[in-house]
Amino acid sequence: MSTKAKNEPAVAYSELAIRNNLSIVEYCRTSVAAVSGCTAGVLGLTGLYGALFFIVAVTGFWLMLLFKAGIDSWRKFFISRKSLLINGIFGHFFTYILCWTFIYGMVHVY
Amino acid sequence: MTADLIVDPQIRFWVFLPIVIITFLVGILRHYISILLSSQKKVEIQQLADSQLILRARALRENCGYIPKNSFLIRRQAFNKEDGYLMQKRPPVTQNMMTDPSMMTDMLKGNLTNVLPMIIIGGWINWMFSGFITTKVPFPLTLRFKSMLQRGIELSHLDASWVSSASWYFLNVFGLRSIYALVLGENNAADQSRQMQEQMQMTGAASGMPADPKIPFKAEWEALEIIEHQWKLGDVEKELLQE
Repeated sequence: MSTKAKNEPAVAYSELAIRNNLSIVEYCRTSVAAVSGCTAGVLGLTGLYGALFFIVAVTGFWLMLLFKAGIDSWRKFFISRKSLLINGIFGHFFTYILCWTFIYGMVHVY
Repeated sequence: MTADLIVDPQIRFWVFLPIVIITFLVGILRHYISILLSSQKKVEIQQLADSQLILRARALRENCGYIPKNSFLIRRQAFNKEDGYLMQKRPPVTQNMMTDPSMMTDMLKGNLTNVLPMIIIGGWINWMFSGFITTKVPFPLTLRFKSMLQRGIELSHLDASWVSSASWYFLNVFGLRSIYALVLGENNAADQSRQMQEQMQMTGAASGMPADPKIPFKAEWEALEIIEHQWKLGDVEKELLQE
C-alpha cells in the first residue's frame, strides 16, 4: 500500500517475513561462497584472480536473486537492495577462502 | 603451477583430508551432544510476563501510525501513566549463581561440551599430525602471516603461503562456521569460536540474564514517551477507491 502523493512511499513490511527472507538469502549466499570457492580451487585460480572470481560470483548471485524477485517488484520482498549484496560479505569471503584453499590443495599442490 | 616444493601425495590422504573430516564431524557431534545434554531452562512466570509486556509496548511504538491518534494516546496512557504497566515496581532479582545448583550443572555441561573436546581433539591433532606441511594457500602472503599459518614448523626460508597441519586445523575450526549453519541450521552448537565468546561474556558479566526488569522498562517508557504519532493512512479511502 503506497501513497504516491508523498515523496517517501509508505510501505508496510511484515518483520517476520522479512527476517525469514533474509535468512533464506543467507543460506543461499553461504552456498554460493562455498561452491564458488570449490570452483576456484578446481580451476586453480591464484592470487587476485581468485578474489575477482569471488566478486563475480557474489555479484552474479545478487543479480540472479533480483531477477528472481522481479526487477520491479523486489521491494515486495526486501527492504534494501544494497544490503543483500553487502551484508556479511567478509564472513562469506572467509568461507570462500577456506573452500578455495581446500580444493586447491587437493587438486593442484601435490 | 610451478611448485617450489614437492609434497608427498600421501600427505593429502593421510593428513590433509583427515583433518578436515575430523574437524567437521567433531562439530556435528558436539551439536548433537549438546542437544542431548541441554536442560530446559526454567522460566519464571513473572519474567515471561515482563518480556511480553516490553514486546507489546514495542509493537505499539512501531505500528502507531496505523491506529488513530486517539487510540494511540489511550494505549500509551495505559503503559505510561503513574501506575501503568511500565511503571510497575518489581522486586530486584538477586540470584546467586553459585548457590543455584541448576546453574552449576549447566556450567559444567557447557564446559563438558566446549572446553574438553577442544583440548582433547586439538591436542590429539597436534600430536598425531604434527610437523607436516599440508597445503599452500593460493594467494601470496606477507611474512607476517608465517607465525599464523606455519605453527609447528620453524623454517625461516619457507614461503609464507605454505600451511602447516596445526594451522590447517585452526583454520578449519574457525572457517567451518557458516558450513555448520548450512548443515545444522541457524542456532547450532557446533561452532566453537562462538561458544568461547559466550563463555567469556558469562564470566565477564557474571550472568547473562537481565537481572533487573526495571532498566528495559525505563528505556521503553522513555521511547514511548517521546514518539510522535503520525497517521499513515490519511488518504487510504482515495487509494482504495481508485482500484
